[in-house]
Amino acid sequence: MKAIDLKLLRDLWRMRGQALAIAAVIAAAAATFILSVGVHESLSETREIYYERNHFAEVFAGMTRAPRTVVERVEDIEGVRQAEGRIIQFVTLEMEGRVEPIRGVINSVEDGGASDLNQMILTEGRGPGLEEAGEVVVDRSFAEANDLHPGDEIDALIYGTRQTLEIVGIGLSPDYIWAIAPGDLIPDESRYGIFWMGRRALEAATDRTEAINSLSLTLDHGASEAEVIRQLDIILAPYGSTGAYGREDHLSHAFLDNELMQLDAMTRIIPPVFLLVSTFLVYIVLGRMIRTEREQIGLLKAFGYTSRAIAWHYLKFAFAIAALGIVLGAIVGIWMGRNMTELYAEYYRFPFLVYQLSPETFASAAALALASAGLGAIGGVRTAIELTPAIAMAPPPPAVYRAGTVERLSNLAGFTSIGHMIVRHISRWPGRSSMTVVGVSLSLGLLFSTMSFIDSSSSMLETNFFRAQRQDVSVTFIEPRNEDVLYDLGRIPGVLRVEATRAASARLRHGPLSERVAIESADDEGTLWARIDSAEQEVPLPPAGLMLSRRLADKLGARTGDRIEVSMLEGRRSVSVVPIAATIDELVGSRAYASSATLAQLTRDRAPVGSALLRIDTNQRDAILAELQEMPIVLGVTERNAALVKFEEMIDDNIITMIGFYVAFASAIAIGVVYNSARIVFSERARELATLRVLGYHESEVALVLLGELALLIAIAVPIGCFAGYWLAQLMTAMFSSDLFRLPFAPTRATYGFSILVILAASALTAMIVARRVMRLDMVRVLKARD
Amino acid sequence: MTTEADISDGQGRGETLPVFRAVDLRKIYEVGETQVHALRGVDLEIGRGEVLVLLGPSGSGKSTLLNIVGALDRPTSGQLWHEDTELTGLSDRALTRFRRAHVGFIFQFYNLIPSLTAEENVRLVTDIADDPLPAEEALEMVGLGHRRGHFPAQLSGGEQQRVAVARAIAKRPRVLFCDEPTGALDSSTGIKVLETLAKANEEFGATLIIITHNAGIAAMADRVFNFLDGRIASIDVNSERRPPSEISW
Ligand SMILES: Nc1ncnc2c1ncn2[C@@H]1O[C@H](COP(=O)(O)OP(=O)(O)O)[C@@H](O)[C@H]1O
Ligand SMILES: [Mg+2]
Repeated sequence: MKAIDLKLLRDLWRMRGQALAIAAVIAAAAATFILSVGVHESLSETREIYYERNHFAEVFAGMTRAPRTVVERVEDIEGVRQAEGRIIQFVTLEMEGRVEPIRGVINSVEDGGASDLNQMILTEGRGPGLEEAGEVVVDRSFAEANDLHPGDEIDALIYGTRQTLEIVGIGLSPDYIWAIAPGDLIPDESRYGIFWMGRRALEAATDRTEAINSLSLTLDHGASEAEVIRQLDIILAPYGSTGAYGREDHLSHAFLDNELMQLDAMTRIIPPVFLLVSTFLVYIVLGRMIRTEREQIGLLKAFGYTSRAIAWHYLKFAFAIAALGIVLGAIVGIWMGRNMTELYAEYYRFPFLVYQLSPETFASAAALALASAGLGAIGGVRTAIELTPAIAMAPPPPAVYRAGTVERLSNLAGFTSIGHMIVRHISRWPGRSSMTVVGVSLSLGLLFSTMSFIDSSSSMLETNFFRAQRQDVSVTFIEPRNEDVLYDLGRIPGVLRVEATRAASARLRHGPLSERVAIESADDEGTLWARIDSAEQEVPLPPAGLMLSRRLADKLGARTGDRIEVSMLEGRRSVSVVPIAATIDELVGSRAYASSATLAQLTRDRAPVGSALLRIDTNQRDAILAELQEMPIVLGVTERNAALVKFEEMIDDNIITMIGFYVAFASAIAIGVVYNSARIVFSERARELATLRVLGYHESEVALVLLGELALLIAIAVPIGCFAGYWLAQLMTAMFSSDLFRLPFAPTRATYGFSILVILAASALTAMIVARRVMRLDMVRVLKARD
Repeated sequence: MTTEADISDGQGRGETLPVFRAVDLRKIYEVGETQVHALRGVDLEIGRGEVLVLLGPSGSGKSTLLNIVGALDRPTSGQLWHEDTELTGLSDRALTRFRRAHVGFIFQFYNLIPSLTAEENVRLVTDIADDPLPAEEALEMVGLGHRRGHFPAQLSGGEQQRVAVARAIAKRPRVLFCDEPTGALDSSTGIKVLETLAKANEEFGATLIIITHNAGIAAMADRVFNFLDGRIASIDVNSERRPPSEISW
């Protein structure tokens, strides 16, 4: 090995603490990158393959009932490659020992579970027979959550008729990667199952012989989806179509997209913060190293080493640290990626989902790490290149201390001579001091913003969902009913209050833009359902006209006062022009609202009740739920509390791990920054500190010079970190927002407190470790050594 | 010993072509507002295999001249030739190549790399030289073969300086520049160092240029340049070189 490379290795070993601290920050960058990009890749590639192999459709439409022959007409639309009609039927399930509402959705399939599109995969057992009444395949998640196996039986209420379902197989399909029961807030695989039943059997059970209520289709390459949807809507209009839509409005697809978008946002925010800090660290550490090695550099140059060879020597130092960081980061990243993917495999129903790190992703992570370390090295390396061999031979001029503003301040504060030493040293090295401040602030900011993310999620669910929905139970009906149903529900013992709500599908048009939505309405005097805007204010329904969520209005390019065309997709399918009476800035979804009177005018039918909201006496919950499920008109029953419990469970399961990661990663920055600054301050001041000892200062007093400087810098970093965190958190909530929902920005004081405590603790511990060296300072050796 | 102010015929030991020739070298350092005239017009010729001593008070410009002739630094004006190459006209890269190929340096404070052992410090140079001595042999030459695995911190000042000498001679240089090589050493260690330098002069015919405060060392030179205030004030020519062991310290 070349002697100069031996020097490199020995330097690395001598500075192993500092090198490791920087490597940890780079590792955090690489790990988070490999985690988010790797999971993103695994998820999107797995989804792509799954879609491809199982022929996931591109356009979907639901309708009340259409003859099966409509499929052929649809296939004739230009641009349609393949179309398939199905029956999709929501059912209520009854399982032994379970009082809470359990729901399911049954999809019709051909003999043995076959279909052209959205093909089901059997993981166990066999497919259902075409005509075998009651034979079903059940989705794997539901089966696992409820310990169901082929051969087991469940009672179901299908279309008002009780029927026993016999499980013959277990499977899954690409149109239900993510699934949620209608009206539910949180997916709950133990309370909502996906089923597949033979077509004839389901036709018989739902009284839809040779009829369908759902269409899926794939398109030719280059076909216009919008045009196909337009023609499809025309063909399906007479059959009670609720409007065709593409993949981006398909619930399962959209949710996965949302997840992918969030992973992408994470990739764009978190690794850069770590990379930035690692650049800082390399900059200050290598800068210091090159300053102390001026003479060695001069010597090497005098002996004929080229500037390039010397530049490469120090770059290698930076790259070696980066390489260590990459290796550590890859190990941690892959491990976390596997865990996260396993978590995803629980929430998303994939036949297989494994974390796979592609060579490209690894290479990008490595390139980013090397680049940021290299960038940090440039400053120092340039100094090394610029040193002329002659100047390098002369010892560096003594540091110039000036009586600046900072010092005048310290005079005012009446500092002791140690205080002066501290303040002067900080103002002597303003660049490095500010980088220490920036680094610690960033670690605080990062911790705060990731932690406040948890605040945002719980705020969104708890405040916005649970404040908006005040019922205990909501009941959906097979089809809209008239008001009589409310009296029937009100007569059930224990039901304290009943309110009607309705959601009717419509297509809104404004100029060339159009959107398919459900117009929602409620009792004028209703108290169980509220619309909460992003400022957490309750917004009443407009007496006339529509109220659109801001997002929907934006999509339509419309504003309050504009008139839009409303084509109802149910009831009498009226088309009318309605003014936008108001807009509401909401966090979730693109929604439209109207008063019940307005909606009744639009639908022109006498069935204003789509579902009912109930307040109940919780002591009588079981009896009420049982009675509701006996009612043939009831399609589904949702308990609000169950969602809350499920959500809390979900948070509890992961929160400790999540906080652990956040704390570990943010602390990596704080430790890396504080350790390196402390070591540099210590080496710069070793001589002064030894002199102080010679003069008779106690070890602890001398340590104070070092600790005092760090304490002052960290104290400055805390408020800056809070601002940085506030800003980063806002950026993150903005970047995590999608078509489906927007996260509220709801940081709590506790989060500030917790983040500050963690960073202070990490910084203090690190500083103490270095301070112990000060205590053991060998006076004689330090004073003799030429720096 | 004769004292002459005429430098034009100072041809050392009768070599024909001078190794270095300089005309009117000047060096001005800009320190803030003020200018420091470190060299105020130096002309010289140095012969092959010559031993030259630069004497003079501190701050008189000796190191500045040495750095310029050793291609570590550039003059503000004037010209400098190495054989028939004009060094003052070369790029930094070419100067580096020149140093790499032909020049050895020894400094007052040894300037060993603390993280490398004695042998590795020498290898630092042999790694990049064309036809070097093996590092071991160079260390044997300075009498430190048995200490080659030691780090600088484990060696005395004199030993460190001898490692520095070994490092300088390992590339078989044509010129050895020594800036106060014995400045930090006591007499007996100092003499040992000078002996190794003299040996390099004899064995490879290396030209030796030694800066010193110690007038006694002048006895080992062919010529002595006396510096004053950025100029060569006078040149002493010795009729005979004394071996370092006979030097009175
Ligand atoms: N890098 C420099 N910047 C400014 N002045 C310098 C520098 N190097 C040397 N000098 C000045 O140039 C003059 C000559 O210095 P030097 O050649 O080192 O003298 P010597 O080696 O004879 O003691 C001195 O006045 C010194 O202060
Ligand atoms: Mg000098």
